[in-house]
Amino acid sequence: MNKWVRENLWRHSIAIATCLFSLFPLYLVILSSLKTSGSLQVGSFIPHEVSLDNFRFLFHSPKTPYVLWFKNSLVIASTVALSSVFIGAASAFAFSRLKFKGKKLGIRLLLLVQMFPAVLAISAVYVIMERVYTFAPNIGLGSQGGLILVYLGGSMGVNIWLLKGFVDSIPVELDEAAKIDGASPVQTYWLIFLPLATPVLAVVCLLSFIGTFNEFILARLFLVEMNGRTIAVGLQQFIGGQYASNWGPFAAGSILASIPIVIIFLSLQRFIVNGLTAGSVKG
Amino acid sequence: MRGKFALIAKIVFLGFTTAILALLTESAFAQKQYVIGGFILVAALALNIVYLTSISVPFKFFLPGILFFIAFVIAPIFFTVQMSGFKYQTGNYIDKATALEQVISLGAQPDAQGTTFDITVGRNSSNEFAILVSDIANNKYFVSTPTQRVDVPAASATFNEYGVAIKAPNFNAMSADALAANDAYSKIRYKYEGDYYIAIESQNAGGVFRQELTYSAKTGVLTNIFTGATYVDNHRGNFAKVGDPTVLLSPGWRAPIWFENYSRLVTDQKVRTPLIRVFLWTFFFALFSVLSTFALGLILAMSLNRPIRGRRIYRSILILPYAMPSVMSILIWAGMFDSDFGAVNSILHTNIHWLQNPSLARSIVLLVNLWLGFPYFYLICSGSLQAIPNELLEAAAIDGANPRQVFRKITLPLLLQILSPLLIASFAFNFNNFNLIYLLTGGGPTQTLNGEIAGATDILISYTYKIAFGTNFQDFGLASAISVIIFLIVASISMYGLRRSKVMESFG
Repeated sequence: MNKWVRENLWRHSIAIATCLFSLFPLYLVILSSLKTSGSLQVGSFIPHEVSLDNFRFLFHSPKTPYVLWFKNSLVIASTVALSSVFIGAASAFAFSRLKFKGKKLGIRLLLLVQMFPAVLAISAVYVIMERVYTFAPNIGLGSQGGLILVYLGGSMGVNIWLLKGFVDSIPVELDEAAKIDGASPVQTYWLIFLPLATPVLAVVCLLSFIGTFNEFILARLFLVEMNGRTIAVGLQQFIGGQYASNWGPFAAGSILASIPIVIIFLSLQRFIVNGLTAGSVKG
Repeated sequence: MRGKFALIAKIVFLGFTTAILALLTESAFAQKQYVIGGFILVAALALNIVYLTSISVPFKFFLPGILFFIAFVIAPIFFTVQMSGFKYQTGNYIDKATALEQVISLGAQPDAQGTTFDITVGRNSSNEFAILVSDIANNKYFVSTPTQRVDVPAASATFNEYGVAIKAPNFNAMSADALAANDAYSKIRYKYEGDYYIAIESQNAGGVFRQELTYSAKTGVLTNIFTGATYVDNHRGNFAKVGDPTVLLSPGWRAPIWFENYSRLVTDQKVRTPLIRVFLWTFFFALFSVLSTFALGLILAMSLNRPIRGRRIYRSILILPYAMPSVMSILIWAGMFDSDFGAVNSILHTNIHWLQNPSLARSIVLLVNLWLGFPYFYLICSGSLQAIPNELLEAAAIDGANPRQVFRKITLPLLLQILSPLLIASFAFNFNNFNLIYLLTGGGPTQTLNGEIAGATDILISYTYKIAFGTNFQDFGLASAISVIIFLIVASISMYGLRRSKVMESFG
C-alpha cells in the first residue's frame, strides 16, 4: 500500500487536477445549455433544473438557421479537405520522391512563405476576390465557392509540408521496385503510392477538415448572408453585440457543433498523434 | 484497358477544366480585369502543355498546387509587400486618375445664395437626359440639358399640387423606378447661366453650382479660377496648395513613399510607443505560452508514462480541449469571463470586470492559451518519451542516478533535442495567434479615451489588424510595413531554430 501511494498517488493527483482544469469550462457550458431559456446565469455547479429549451430554440428560431450553418460548415470543410489533399498529395509525392532542379529551394520557399502573417494578407485576398466578383460572382467575394478557393490556396503550403513528412515515412522500396519493372512516375503514383498512402491521406484530410471547420476570419469576411454562414461565424455573431443575452442557445449550439469533431478526434487520436510527430521527430 | 480508361479520363477532365478556365478568361477580359484574366489564361495554357506533353514530369505533380499557391498565397503577399511602400490609408485609397476626377468634381462650389430648384428628371425630344426646372419664386420654368437651356412658358407646362412643373412640350418625365435603375442622369451638369450649372441633388431637387478648380494636364496644376490659388502634386498622394503645403485637397491617392512607413515605426512617436509595448507583450505571451503548455504537457506525460489505472480515461479527458474546435472553446471562455452574464462571476458571487482590467485580462489570455495548448504537448511528449530507449534510463539508474538526475541529465535534454522544432513552431504560431486574442478579448482593454488603438492584450498581429481594418482610420500602408517586419522576425526565429535542429539538412 505504502509503495503504491509513493509511486502512483502523485500521478493520479496531477492527472485528476488537470482533468478538472480541462473539464471546467466544458462542464459550465453544458450547464448553461441546459438552463431554461429565461435564466442566463449558472448559479452553482449543480444543476437545479434541466431543460432543452436552448436546443429547441436553435432549431426553431428563424433568427438562427442553425441547421443551415452546420450544413455549410460541413460542405465547405469537406470540399476543402478532400480537394486540398488530392492536390497536395501529388506535390508532396514529387517533393519527396522525384529528383529535379530547384527542389531544395522550393521546399524552403514553401516553409518560409508559411511564416508570413496570413491575417494581413487577407486584405489583399479581399481585393483580389472583389475583382473576381466583377466577372464571376459564383467564385468571387461573398460566395461559398470563392471561400473554398481561398481556403484551398491557403491550405496548400501546410498540407504539402505535412504530407511530405508522411510520404517520407513510407518505405521507398516499393516504388523503386515498380520503377525497375518499368513504371513511370505517374503510374507509380496512381497504382502504388496512392493505395499505400490512403490511411495517411485520410488523417491529413481530417486535420484539414478540422482546420477549415475552425476558420473564422475569412469566413466572416466572405459570408455576409445569414443563411450562407458557417457555424463558427453564425455562433460568434450570435453572442456578439446586442445578442449578448443569447448565451444559453450559444452554449447549446457550440456543444452540438463540437460533438462530431470531438468524436472523430478521439476515435482517431492514435493516427493523429502519429501525424503530428511525423513531420518533426523524423525531421 | 486500364491505360485507355486513364487516358480518356484525363482528356475529359482536362477538357472540362480548360473550358471553364477559358470562359473565365473571356469574362475577366470583358470586365477589364487583365491581371487576373491573364493569370487564368496562363494557368489554362500551362495545364494543357504539362498534361498533354512530357516536357516535365515533376510539373505533372506540382502544377495544380503551384497555381493555387501563387494565386492565393504568393500574390497576396506580393501585394502586401508592395503596399508597404505606399501611402495607402483612409483618404488615400484610390488611384491618381480617379482621385483627380473626384477632386475636380468636388471643386464645384454652390452659388452665393445656395440656390436650389425643384426639378423633374426626364428626356428631351432627342432622347437626351434633361431636367425640367421650376424657379417657382420667379415664376420661370425651363428644360435644361448639358448643352442648352430652353425656357418653357408657364402656360404650356403642367403643374403638380406644389406648383412644380411636371410636364412640358418636348420633355418626357421618367418614373422614379426608371431613374433608380439608371443613375447616369445624376452625374450630368445641366446648363444654367454663365459659369453656373445645375447639379442633381435628388430625384426632385437640383442646386446651382459653378466649377472653381480647373486642371491643366500639361502642367499638372490645379487652379482655382476665382481666388487664383494653385495646387500641385506634393508627391505624397495629395494636391497641396502652392505657398502653404499644409492645405491639401481631398481625396488623395495611393502614392509611393518608399520606406517612409518603415521609418515611421522608429521616428514617429505615436507609432513607436504602442508598437514597442505591443511587441514586448507579444514576445512574452508567445514565450510564456510555449513554456507553460510544454511544462504542463511534459508533467502529464511523465505522470501517465506508466500503465496506471484509468490512464485511458485520463487521456481522453485531457485531450478534450485539443479536440474541441478552438473557435468554440475560445468563445466559451470569453463568455465565461463576461462580467454581466459570465458563469465565473455568478458562481463566485462576485462582480469582477475580468476582461476590463489589463493585468487580469492578460492573465486570462495566458490561462486560456494554456488550456488550449497543453494537450498538444502532452500528446507529443508521451510519444517522444516512449521513443527514448529504456536501456539508457536503466543504465543511468544502475550507475546510481536518482530519478531527478535521470530526468535532468538524460530525459529532458533528449526531449528538448527531439522537440525543439515543435517548440519553435509553437512559438511562431503563438506569436501570430490572432484568433485567440481577437475572439477572447478583442485586444482589449483599450484606453480609447487617450486615442489609443492598441489594447493591453493586443499582440502584434491583432494590433496590425486594427491598424489595417480599424473603424475610424485605416492605414493599410503602415499595417503592411508592420506585417513585413513580423514576417522577418518570425521567419528568422524559425530559420535559426530549424538550422540548429538540423532539420534543414534532411532536404539535401
